[in-house]
Order: sequence, then structure tokens, then C-alpha cells
Amino acid sequence: MKKNSRASMSDAQKFSLVRREAIYTGLALCGLIIFWLVAGFGTASLDVKIFHLPLWAVLGTVGVWLVAIFISAILSKILFKDIDLGGDEND
Amino acid sequence: MTEGNLSALAPLIFFMAFMVVISIYVRNKQAGKNFVSNYFIGNRQLGGFVLAMTTVATYSSVSSFVGGPGMAFQVGFGWVYMAVVQVTAIFLVLGIFGKRVALLARKLNAVTVVDIIRARFQSDFLAAVAAFVIVLFFGGTMTAQFVGGAKLFAAVTGYSYEAGLILFGLVVVIYTSIGGFRAVALTDTLCALIMMIGIVLLLHYVLKAGGGYDNIMATIEINHPELFEPFSFGNMPWTIYFTQWLLVGICTIALPQSVVRGISYKNTHGLHQAMLIGTVVVGFMNIGINFTGILAHGVLTGNAADYGGVDNIIPTTIVKAMPPELVGLAIIGPLAASISTISGLLIVASSAIIKDVYLHYAEKNSLSVTPSRVKILSMTTTAVIGAIVFVIALTPPSLIWLINMFAFGGLETAFFWTLLLGLFWKGANKSGAMLSMIGGTIIYCATQAAGFKIFNLHQITIGITCSLILFLIGSYFGKKSDEATLKIFFP
Repeated sequence: MKKNSRASMSDAQKFSLVRREAIYTGLALCGLIIFWLVAGFGTASLDVKIFHLPLWAVLGTVGVWLVAIFISAILSKILFKDIDLGGDEND
Repeated sequence: MTEGNLSALAPLIFFMAFMVVISIYVRNKQAGKNFVSNYFIGNRQLGGFVLAMTTVATYSSVSSFVGGPGMAFQVGFGWVYMAVVQVTAIFLVLGIFGKRVALLARKLNAVTVVDIIRARFQSDFLAAVAAFVIVLFFGGTMTAQFVGGAKLFAAVTGYSYEAGLILFGLVVVIYTSIGGFRAVALTDTLCALIMMIGIVLLLHYVLKAGGGYDNIMATIEINHPELFEPFSFGNMPWTIYFTQWLLVGICTIALPQSVVRGISYKNTHGLHQAMLIGTVVVGFMNIGINFTGILAHGVLTGNAADYGGVDNIIPTTIVKAMPPELVGLAIIGPLAASISTISGLLIVASSAIIKDVYLHYAEKNSLSVTPSRVKILSMTTTAVIGAIVFVIALTPPSLIWLINMFAFGGLETAFFWTLLLGLFWKGANKSGAMLSMIGGTIIYCATQAAGFKIFNLHQITIGITCSLILFLIGSYFGKKSDEATLKIFFP
């Protein structure tokens, strides 16, 4: 979003955008919880090892972390938009 | 002071001195600017990297570096699997509250979370209760940090508990009092970096002392098969997983010390950066230190009880695995976790008293308060709160981990629905918030005191559920918020 159009957003538009972004974050959390369940408990019965570690321990820890990073990147780089917060940003 | 390892003390002294230098520098640089805004929220000037680091450092306490990995040593990968839920903490709080709180703070000229609660629910009484809850539970958390840090210091350096408390406890109170929020944010950043370096350093020496990764893992596979099972042969029941998702995952979005970060950043570009950086860092720390706790089996051959309990696993590992000249560097990491949490809480607790109670009272009663008086009172209050907690920590209460979790749960019960529903639901009103915050907190504390649990779940589940029910009842029967207020919060 260009800086000019950001500055010209009304309060209502900004709050609406922020509300939408909060919902995206909530949905991201739900997605991560599902991944956490499947990656850990879901694979605990599999007899697969990676670097001496059972698959569930790898997917349920490092895997969850990587997915969380991916989610944060999607949220912050794609879904979240820059807005003018009001006040003087350089005060 | 008892005879100890001087080489272990030197890096710590240097580190703490550097913290004080930072705070003096910040204070000089901020001279002449709006004191209240500067002292309590750093004049809304935090960039993305510092915002991420200060949020992570305040969130990560000494428990994360001592008690947590000690439990991982005992329980195994189930503990790491449970602890990793904390990767949600940063993107959740900044994603849900970050921009809304920033927009509102600028509109209302708010400096604290309580300012926003007061404006939303138009209640001085609720604001006073919120300030009281903050000071009360922060006191508990800070005491746990002081005690945990000083015990670690004593175990690793050989100097006394009191010496540790004086060295890092007093210094953190001094630098927070002098520099305010901006100094806290910068020192937190340094602390977070030191924590990461400390983890890498400890991991390296644990692997070395244990004869390498393959050797350690082969030993654990033979001697401790339970560590490879998610329920750890009954040591990690599902109830722990469930309550930890609430306690250190989802509900942390409402911790006042995290939400206030939303008031303090410069622009949304920084916020977006912080969400990503914070998630990377918090995951690295959590997985890194807890995995190191498990690998400590390569260094310590007995059970946790043989070393005096889970809290002694990391200190003992540091002493046994690391060269004496590096021990001082290694304990800076966990101590940094401790002091960064204390400083973050201290400045918010101080703002609750000065900004939320005293200045509001003065303004309401048209009392004139000179800038120099505000400055002296703010710094004195910060120092006095720190000193009180310091004195309590001199006679350390037992069960640090439980005190910390109790305080976490109390804050979450009090603020979760008040902030979430208050900022995102027009139907939320004063009666609902009041019932939720007061009733929920009392019920939570009462169930904790009575040891009452449902399905053996932590009392946060009762607190947060009752708090929601009370909020909905109050909002249904209470008077609706006035139009002018709703126009500000839901334009």
C-alpha cells in the first residue's frame, strides 16, 4: 500500500483493517494448533527416526517452530498492511 | 561474601556495569523530552528489532532457562513439545493487539494499558483495580525472578545467594529507575542476544563433555526410553499440555507487560518485522535450551533428585561441562532472562502507580504536578517497588516455579477477556469488565489457595472460564457503553 493512500485512510477503514488482521492471526493460531496436534501426537506411533529422534519429536518441535515462522511471514509480509498510526512517527 | 570463583564473577560484573551505562546514556539522551511518555513507553520510538527482542526478553524468564530445561531433563521430548507452544506468543500478541492498541494509544494519548481500559469502560475504579492487580501479580513474578537468578548465581559461582541478589538485583532496579522504558528495551535486546549466545555456548560444551551427539543420544535411548515418548510413561499427562497452551500460549496475549509493547513502537513496518523476528527468536530459545536440558544426560548420569531437583540441573551442567573461565559467560544468559523480565515488569508496575493512579488523581482534582516532581516520583516509585521485591527475595520463598505460574495465571484471568472483548466487541461494558476482572481473579486465587482443580487441570482453566461467564453476564445485564466511547473504539 502506498504511503499516501495509507495516510488518507479513515479511522473506520483502519480499525476495520486491524480487526481483519486480528481475525487472520486467530485463524493462524487455529492452523498452528492443528499442525501441532498432527505433527506430535499424530505421528507418535510411527517408528521413524531422524538424527536419533523419533519423528514426532522432530515434527512436534522444530517442525512447529518452522511452521510458526512461515505463518508469521505470511501474516506480516502478505496479509498485514502498513497503516499510518496517527501522531508524529518521528517525534 | 563467601569464597567463590572470581573468573565467573568478572563477566557478570562487566555485563551489569554495561547495563547501567546504557541507562545513563538513555537518560541523558532523553533529557528535555516529554518525561512521562519517554519514561514509561520510550516515546513510541521502538523499531522492529528492538520491539521483538524486548517482547521476547520480558516474556522469557529465568524459569525458561533453569526450571524448564530441568524438567526436560526429567521428562524428555514431551517437555520440548509442550514448551514449543510458546512460539505463538509474539505473533499473537502483536498480531491481535499490536495495531489496535497503537491506534487507540495515539488517539487517547494513552501511555499504559490501564489508560486504555479506563477509556474503554469509563471507570476509574476498574482502572484502579487493574493497576492493583498488575502491581500485586508483578510483585510475585519479580520475586520469583530475583530468587531464581540469585540461586543460579550462588550454585554456579560459589558466592552467596545474597551476593548474587545484591549484584544483579540491585543493578537491575538501579538501571530501570534511571533509564525507564527505553533503557529497558535496549537492555532487553542485549539480554536476548546474550541468552541466545549462552544457549549456543552451553550446547557446544554439553555435546563436547558428553562425547558428541551420537554418543549422548545412544546413552539416553538405552537408559531413558521414557524421554522419547510424548506422555513420558505417565510423567507428561494431557492436562499439562492443555493448560500450558492456555498459560504460556494463547492467554499470554493479555499480559499487560506484553500488550504495552503495542503502545511503544514507531510504525507498523516495525511491528511486522517484530512478529517475524520474535517468532524466530522465541522458538530458538525454547527449543535450544530445553533440548540442551535433555542432552545434559551426557554430562549428568544420575536422576534429577540426585542433583537436588530439576532446578539444579542447568547450574550443575554449567559447572561440570564448561571450562571454569567460561562459567561466568554461561550464567549471563539465564541471568539476562531474569533481569530482563524484572526490568520489564518493574517499569509497568511503576507506571501503574504513577501514571494510572497518582497522575490521574491529580488531573481529576486539578492538582498541579510539576514535571520535575513527576520525574522524581516515577524514579523513586520504580526504585521502591524494586527494593520491596528485593527485600522479599532476601528470605526466598520456596516453589519459585509455582509462584511464577500463579502470577501468570492471575494476570491472564484478570486481563484476557477485559482486553480481548473490550477492544473487539461493542457489547462489552463496564459491568462485564468489572465482574470479570474482580470476580475471575478472586475465584482464581481462591481455587489456588484451596488447591481445588477440575480434571486435575491448572486453576487458570477455572479462572479464565469464570472470568468469561462473568463478563458475559455483566455485559448482558449492565448498562451499555455510551456512544461517544464506542465511536472512539469502534469508529
